[in-house]
Amino acid sequence: MSSNRRRHANAIPIASFASWGIVALCALGGGLGYVWCKNQLYTTGTEIRALERELSGLRNKNEVTLSKIAQLSSTATLNERFATGFIDLVPITNDVIAVVDDAAPKAAVGELRPASNEREEK
Amino acid sequence: MNRTARTRALITCLLLSGCYTAFSFRLVHLQVTQHGEYAARAADIHVKRQTIYARRGVIYDIHGESLAQNEPVRTVVADGTLINDREELADFLAHALKLPRAEVLEKLGREKFSQSRQKNIPDQYVILKKQVPEMLATELKDALAARKLRGVYFEQESTRVYPNGQMLCHVVGFVNGESVGVDGVERTMERFLRGHDGFRYTERDRTGKEIVPYRAQEKEARNGCNVRLTIDIGLQNIVEQELDAAIKQFRPKSATVILMRPQTGEILALANRPNFNLNVQENVPLDHRRNRALSDMVEPGSTFKIVTTAAALTERIVKSGTLIHCENGFMASAKLRDHHPYADLSVNDILVKSSNIGVAKLAIQLGDQKFYEYVRRFGFGERSAVNLPGEISGIVHPPHRWSKISITRMPMGHEVAATPLQIVTAMCAIANGGRLMMPQIVSEITDDQGRIVTSFPPQEVRRVASKEATDAVNEALQQVVGPKGTAQLARVAGFTVAGKTGTSQKLGADGRYGHDKYVVSFAGYMPAENPAFVGLVLLDEPQAKPGQTYGGLVAAPVFSRIGEKAARYLGLVPSPEEPAGSVMAGQNVRSR
Repeated sequence: MSSNRRRHANAIPIASFASWGIVALCALGGGLGYVWCKNQLYTTGTEIRALERELSGLRNKNEVTLSKIAQLSSTATLNERFATGFIDLVPITNDVIAVVDDAAPKAAVGELRPASNEREEK
Repeated sequence: MNRTARTRALITCLLLSGCYTAFSFRLVHLQVTQHGEYAARAADIHVKRQTIYARRGVIYDIHGESLAQNEPVRTVVADGTLINDREELADFLAHALKLPRAEVLEKLGREKFSQSRQKNIPDQYVILKKQVPEMLATELKDALAARKLRGVYFEQESTRVYPNGQMLCHVVGFVNGESVGVDGVERTMERFLRGHDGFRYTERDRTGKEIVPYRAQEKEARNGCNVRLTIDIGLQNIVEQELDAAIKQFRPKSATVILMRPQTGEILALANRPNFNLNVQENVPLDHRRNRALSDMVEPGSTFKIVTTAAALTERIVKSGTLIHCENGFMASAKLRDHHPYADLSVNDILVKSSNIGVAKLAIQLGDQKFYEYVRRFGFGERSAVNLPGEISGIVHPPHRWSKISITRMPMGHEVAATPLQIVTAMCAIANGGRLMMPQIVSEITDDQGRIVTSFPPQEVRRVASKEATDAVNEALQQVVGPKGTAQLARVAGFTVAGKTGTSQKLGADGRYGHDKYVVSFAGYMPAENPAFVGLVLLDEPQAKPGQTYGGLVAAPVFSRIGEKAARYLGLVPSPEEPAGSVMAGQNVRSR
C-alpha cells in the first residue's frame, strides 16, 4: 500500500462531520426554540391571566364605586341628610320666587313699539 | 457459540419479548380500551368550566337616576383537593370571615364520593360564606397569597342594591336570591334585565392554577339591558313627601297617588302606602308589597261622573247648558238623594255640584247598553296592559246583570269597581281631548353600550269622547275647583286646576254601605288649558273629623300641595290672567 493511499484512507471526513454538526445544531436550535416558544406561551398566558384578574378587579371596584355614588347621591339619601341637618339648605317658598315670563312676542308688521324695547345696533 | 449459550440467549430473548408484549398489551389497554375513562378522570381533575357572569341591567328614572343597580360581592369557596394546611387556613378564615373556627374546619375537611375514583375524596366545592364585600375579598386574596395558603377561591357574584330604599318600591320591585325579578319592573322586564352568563373551559395544574394556553371553548357573557322608566324621581319625591304628610294627618288604612302625563300616558310618579324598604326584604308583610294602584279596586264615587257626562255630551243627547231637573234632592223612583236639594241644573252644573240625580238622569237618557259601552270604552273593566305585574281588571257588570236601580247608581261611581290606575287613565282622556292612552311605565330599553334596543312610544288605545264633549267637561271640572265647586281646596295659586272629587262609602261585612268607612279621592289636572300632568289622590278610610270625610276636604288639599310643588319642579309658568286676589283667596281657603 502506497503512503499516499494510506494518508487518504485515514483522513478525517470534515465535510461529513460539518454537515452532521449543522444538522445537530439545527435540531438543537429547533428544540431550544420550541422550548423557548413554549415557555413564552406559558409566560404570556400567566401575564394574560394576571391582566385579566387586574381588569376584573378594576371593573369590580368601579362597580362598587358607582353603587356607592348612586346610594350617596340618591334622592332618598339627600332627603335624609337634609332632614338631619347635614345639608344646611333653606327651602325656597313660592312667595319669594319671581317667575320671569317668556320674552314679549314679536311685534306685528307696522306696529309701533316703545324705543326702549328696540335692540341696539352694534 | 455453544449450545448452552444459544439456549440462554433464546430464553432471554423470549423473556424480553414476553415482557414487551405484556407491556404493549397493557399500553393498548390503557390508551385504547380505557381511554375514555382515564380521559374523563383527567378532565375531572384538571378541566374546569368557569362561568363568566353577566351583569343584570340597571333601572333608571327618566333623567338617569339609578333606581336599581348591582354591587359586586364574592362567595368564598374552598376546594378540599388543593388545601395544603387545613388548620392554619381554618384559623385564618375563621378570623377574617368572622365565622366559628369549628364550622370552618368542618367545611374544609368535607369529603364526597367520587364516581370516577370509586372512593371518598375531599370536596372540591364547599361554600364558606356568601355576600362577602369586594374590598374584603381582595384583601383576603392578597393575605392568602402572602401566607402561601391554597385551596380557597372567590367566586364573583353581585347583589341588587336599591339606592332609594322605600321610594318607588312598588314600581321598581325586587329580585329573589337567584337574581330573578319577582315583583315590579324587575319582574315584567326580566327578559331584558337578565343577562346571559358566558363560560370558559380551562385546564388547571395540580396547584389549581389555570394553564392559560390550554383554554378551550369560550363564550362571552352578555350583560342585561338597562331599563329607563317614565318615572321622574323629582316628582316622585314630591308625591312621597306629601303622601307621608297626608298619612300622618289622616291615618288612612291605605293610600295611593298617581301622576300621569295625559298626552302620552306616561306615569310620572306612583306611590302607595303602606310601603316597604327594597333593601330589607325580611319580615315584610305581603300586604305592604301590594301595588294598590293596580291590584286594589274601589268604587270610584263621584269621579266616575266624568264618564257619564262625557258620554252624554259625545252622543249629543244633551249640551253643556241643557237643564236637567234634579227632583229637589230626592228621586223617589230610584231612592236616590243629593247632598243638597237642586231643582234644575245644567249639565255643566251637575258636575260642579256633583248631583247624583242629575248624572243618573243623563245615564237613563243614554240607555243601559250605550252607557255600559262608554264605561268600557273609558277602560273600566279591563286591564290597561301597563308593564307592571298584578294588575286587575276591576268589575263592571254587563247590563243583563244589572238591577233596576243600577242605571242610577253606576253613573255616580257605585256598583262599579275600578283600580286607581283606571280612574287616572280615564281622567287623562278628559284632559287630552278624548283619547284613551295606554299607561306607560317603561320609556326605553338600552344595551350596556347605551344603544336603544326597544322603546315604548305612546299608544292611543281608542278615542272615547269627542273633543267638544271633553272641552265641556273640562270647563265644568275647572268650576269644580272654583269658588262654587266641591274641590276648592284643590286650587293651586297661579294655575287653573280642573278636577273632580270622589267620596264613596265602603261596603260593610253585611254587604250594605256603612256610614263610617269611606274611600275619598280627588282626580284632577293642571294647568287646565294645557295639562302638564293628571293626578289622583286616593285615601282609604281616612280618620277625619266627623262630617268631614269628603274627597274635597281630605284628598283635594293633598293634590293642591303636590300640584304647587310639581308646578315649580316642572317650571310651569303661572297664568298671568290669574289675579293676585284669587291666589290669596286660594290660600285663605286652604287654611280654613
